[in-house]
Amino acid sequence: MTEVFVNMGEISSAKNHGILTTVGLGSCIGVTLYDHKVKVGVMGHIFLPRSRSNDQGAPPGKYADTGIPAMIQEALRLGASKSRLQAKLAGGANLFPNLSLNTISIGQQNIQAVTELLTQHGIPIVGQDVAGNHGRKMRFFVDNGVVTVTAIGKEPVQI
Amino acid sequence: MNEQKLDFLRELAVIGTGHATIALSQMLQGRMFKLVVPDAQMLPFTEAADYMGGLEQVVVGIFVVISGDVRGYMACLHPLDTARLLVRLLTGQETEEIDELGRSALQELGNIMVTSFLNALSKMTNLLMMPSVPGLAIDMAGAVWESILAGAEVTNEVTVIRTKFSAEGEEIEGHIIFLPDEDDFRKIARQFGLEDLG
Repeated sequence: MTEVFVNMGEISSAKNHGILTTVGLGSCIGVTLYDHKVKVGVMGHIFLPRSRSNDQGAPPGKYADTGIPAMIQEALRLGASKSRLQAKLAGGANLFPNLSLNTISIGQQNIQAVTELLTQHGIPIVGQDVAGNHGRKMRFFVDNGVVTVTAIGKEPVQI
Repeated sequence: MNEQKLDFLRELAVIGTGHATIALSQMLQGRMFKLVVPDAQMLPFTEAADYMGGLEQVVVGIFVVISGDVRGYMACLHPLDTARLLVRLLTGQETEEIDELGRSALQELGNIMVTSFLNALSKMTNLLMMPSVPGLAIDMAGAVWESILAGAEVTNEVTVIRTKFSAEGEEIEGHIIFLPDEDDFRKIARQFGLEDLG
């Protein structure tokens, strides 16, 4: 089965089969959207919650506010129905908990932003493995919608 | 970042890393260190973790916030093998897994390297640069890297300084990221007589 690697800031999609994988989620958040009926899957690896005026040429997937709408559009383009889309999340960790960089960690801000945007679009979050202080790898099996999350030295968990 | 800025940052890195290496050598009871001249490269931010040996490779990351006349961030990343070697040199302990003692030794080591790097630049510029208590993460390169970039608010490209030194025939490899605030970087440049850095 083909496995496509989704880098930071990217959005990738597949239909019927294939694996979408993103490696090294720290404070970033990995998001998957899936329509079971037509087996359409989209994955994004989001860096920060809000897009910036000084980063105009950025790909939409870099920021949650532009990334979530772009992911939905990509799913619809492949024949998904918005009402059937379900989301899963992984990441949003804080790897340097003893550094007070922000009052709310960037990981936490990413979780909040993505959750709010999905709620606004009426897309339920059916699985998640977020927050904590460790990095994650996320694999999305588009033939059945299964998502596994792996941390260093741990067995993969299904969400 | 233009070529002139990159050259200047490279100069700063050579000075800072040289001092950090001396401090490290002293910490390891005067074992002789040979420093390979650091190489600074500017990379698109998505490629930088790959350049460090792949997103899934386990690395040790040390991250500090700089305050004073110059504000900004600094980080050091080492491959796990290098970290194990450093722990062994520091504690005499041979381990596969880096335990609490190893973690605190690495944190202290990061503290000394970062402090001596910044002290060297402070002395030459008369600008105060103080590091925070270092944060330490041992995790996938991709996760450590993006957490540093997000924390330091880097969104486009980043200059990574690759450094290598050897102690008693063993190689120590590291990547240093020195990210002064844009305006404060100009302050440093002015102290070196570079008025127009763009």
